[in-house]
Order: sequence, then structure tokens, then C-alpha cells
Amino acid sequence: MGSNFFFYIAEGTAITIAVTLVALPFGLFIGLALALVNTYAGQWPRRASAVYSLVMRGIPPIALLFILYFLLSGRWLNLSPFWAGSLSLGIVSSAYQMEILRGALASVGSGQMTAARAVGLSRWQAIRYILIPQAIRLAIPPWSNEASIVLKDSSLVYALGVPEVLRRAQQLSATNSQPLLAFGAAALIYFVLVFLTNRGLDWLANKTRLPTQTV
Amino acid sequence: MKRIPLFLSLVVILSLLLSACGATSGSHLDAIKKAGVIKVGTSADYPPFEYVDEQGNKIGFDIELMTQVAKRMNLTLEWVDMPFDSLIAGVKEGKIDASISAFNYSEERDQEVDFTEAYYVGEDGFTVAEGFTGTISKPEDVAGLKVGVQSGTTQDGYVTDVLLAEGVLTEDLVFRYDRADQVALDLKNGRIDVMMTDLVPGQAFYRRTGGLKVVHVCLYSSGPFNIIVPEGDTELAEAMNAILKDLQTEGFIDNLAIKYFIGE
Repeated sequence: MGSNFFFYIAEGTAITIAVTLVALPFGLFIGLALALVNTYAGQWPRRASAVYSLVMRGIPPIALLFILYFLLSGRWLNLSPFWAGSLSLGIVSSAYQMEILRGALASVGSGQMTAARAVGLSRWQAIRYILIPQAIRLAIPPWSNEASIVLKDSSLVYALGVPEVLRRAQQLSATNSQPLLAFGAAALIYFVLVFLTNRGLDWLANKTRLPTQTV
Repeated sequence: MKRIPLFLSLVVILSLLLSACGATSGSHLDAIKKAGVIKVGTSADYPPFEYVDEQGNKIGFDIELMTQVAKRMNLTLEWVDMPFDSLIAGVKEGKIDASISAFNYSEERDQEVDFTEAYYVGEDGFTVAEGFTGTISKPEDVAGLKVGVQSGTTQDGYVTDVLLAEGVLTEDLVFRYDRADQVALDLKNGRIDVMMTDLVPGQAFYRRTGGLKVVHVCLYSSGPFNIIVPEGDTELAEAMNAILKDLQTEGFIDNLAIKYFIGE
């Protein structure tokens, strides 16, 4: 067992990062849109977004992955395993990110909207320039939690044959019967990734904190 | 080994609902030949049939066999590694053209996919830790012992449909694992008393793990190993059958068996 062993597992890191970099922004984009709908839209769109959140948080990501890849992809749209996996994780994450952003928007407070309207901003301008910038800042700490979860859930794409860190560890564990070494290496890689992500987001939260924001 | 995974039933139900939308023209084999590439799925965690070396290259009995089959079909072979549970769904839904992964024939599987002729006939092996003092020479001998199997395998099927059904074992004595190497490790750690696997992988794990011995070789659940192809795709199956037959006659398969099952 040489250094190749670790290298082979570490090669999966690029895939793990790539899946996360697709799933998280995709989830943020949809999640933010849904959070706005859920907070400011009329009754029916609001209910629809609540149902979406309920369903997507209620089904296991692996089931969505299978449905999107094996059943839908190839019939109406043609997704590679990487994209089907990453987008499924993004869809599941969007429901959680919606809840995070919804909470953040609520905690900015309705007084801000009233004040913005009083100085002459339109409703959309108030949301765009007053509420979203504050809500995003408030959302960073809980969002960093979601980022670590998506990072670790990215291992699920192995079920579609995308050779990320965990699948490589499984293969080597089967080859040389040294699971402690194989899974230890995988755990170390995930830990470093999650640690760096969280530290980065902590830094961002500090950097962007508003004077009015209490710690 | 390996039966139809439980999860597949969900996939099957949903695909039945959606099957009206699928439409194909021209034969599968023509499409493969036109592309010049055949995508073959395998679960590379089952030495000595399919596994990876430390550089991540796929090696093993099935791997070399399929490489030769593709070569004789004048096709470029593209491997797709998937967990075992995903392979049948992959073939069924056309994500891969075929799969070789130590598949035994079973009626349940035959309803979902088609099989080539057998390229190897497997046996079951009961493996125990070296310190084990009992004797196992017939199924009833495992009564009261903790038995480990890989989930979804034909051995799991045998334990469930025969040993549990006949009351030789009770549910609390049966331990099911995702992968075969996990069964071997728990056996070595003493958490289970005996593992039932395909014989050859059982031997491979005991060679790698050490401290284990095969005490009973039998044919309760294993049997012929086949390549699986999409349901109704006799053209592809026949093309492979012709090559498998040649490889059998030429002694190629016997040599592979010596290399991977004995020479290790």
C-alpha cells in the first residue's frame, strides 16, 4: 500500500467539490426565489412554495437522484450522471435554503419595508435594495451549516456511478481489506473541506456584518 | 449471488408509469456498433471478479473477460462503475448497454433484463473465523449461529427464503451488509459466526483479511454467472454468446479462472 492509495481517493475530491459547486448555487438561486415568493407573494404562490418545501424536505435525496436520473433523464431531458446527481442535490437543498432565507427575511422585520416605502421606494426596490442585502447577511451562519451538509451529501452521486471520494474509498476498502485507512482518508478529506468552507463563511459573515447587526 | 434490490421495485413501478413515453428505432446493437463504444456497468468492489488496484485501474475476472468480449466485437469498452443496486436499473433504463458483475441468473431478475449464456458457474461458501470449532456440513448446522450475508445477493435470498422460512435461523441471527468486504470484516471481528458468500470472493476475502477459513462448499443459491443485457435484446445477447463460446473453447476463461481464483 503506497501513496497511490491516498492519491486515488484524493482524486475524487475534485468531483466532490464540483458537485457541491453546482448544487449549492443552484439551490441558493431557487431557494431565494421561493423564499421571496413565500414571504411577499399572494396566497396561492405562497402555498405552492410551502408545498414544494414540504415535499423536497420530506423525500430522501437518494430517491430524487434515482427518479431524475433513471426515470426522467433520457426521456424528456438528457442529463449525465454528474448533472442529474448535482441538480437533484441542488433541488433538495433549495428547500432547506428557502427555509433559511425565509427565516432571515422575517427577522429583518416588517418595519424596514414600511420605512422603505415611506421614503419612496417601490415594493420590489425595497426588497432588492433594503431587505435582501440584510437577509443574506443574517443567513450566512445557518447557510454555512447547509453548505457542510450539501458537501457531505455530494457523496450520494456515487449511486449513479460518479466516482467521488467515498466510492473510491469503498473500492479500495474492498481491494485491500483496510477499511480504517480507506475511510479514514475519505473522512479526513471531507473534514478539511467542511472546515475550510465554514471558516471561509465565518470570515465572510464578519467582513460583511452591518454596524446595526448584533453578533 | 445477488438478487434484485428492493429499491428497484420503486424504479420499476415508476418506469411502468412512464414507459409509454419511451420510443426506440433501429436495434440496440446497431446503435452500439455505430457509436463504436459499448458502455458496460460493474460494481468494482467484489474481488476477484471486479475491483480496483491502488492506482484505481479496474481489474478482475469479469473485467478481463469483458475487455476481451468488447475487443472481439471491435468496440471500445467504456466502464461505468456503479453500486451493485444501481446496475439492473441502469441496464433497464438504457444508461448502460450491458453489465457484468458476477450476476447469477434468477427468475426475478429475468423479468427485468435478459441474460447471456453462463461464462462461469459459481458455488456457495460458508466461511468462519479460524478459531471456530464447530462443524458445518449441511444447512441445519448453522442453527443458532450469527450468519452474515451481502444484502440483495442470492445468498441473502437463500438465508431469507429457506433458512429463515424453515426456522433454522431467526431474524435476530441474520446480519445483512451493503458490501461483501464488510461481512468478512465483521466475521474477523467476531460480531458474526459465519458468512455465506459466493465461494471465490469468500476465499479472496479470507486471503486478504487472514484469520478466516472456508468450511463448507456447496451449491444452495449460487450458480451460473451471466452478463446482463436489456430485456428482449436477443441480438446483443447472441453476439456476446458467440464470443463467450469461443473464449470457452480456446481456454481463455479457464486461464482467467486460474489467474484470479487460484493464482492469487
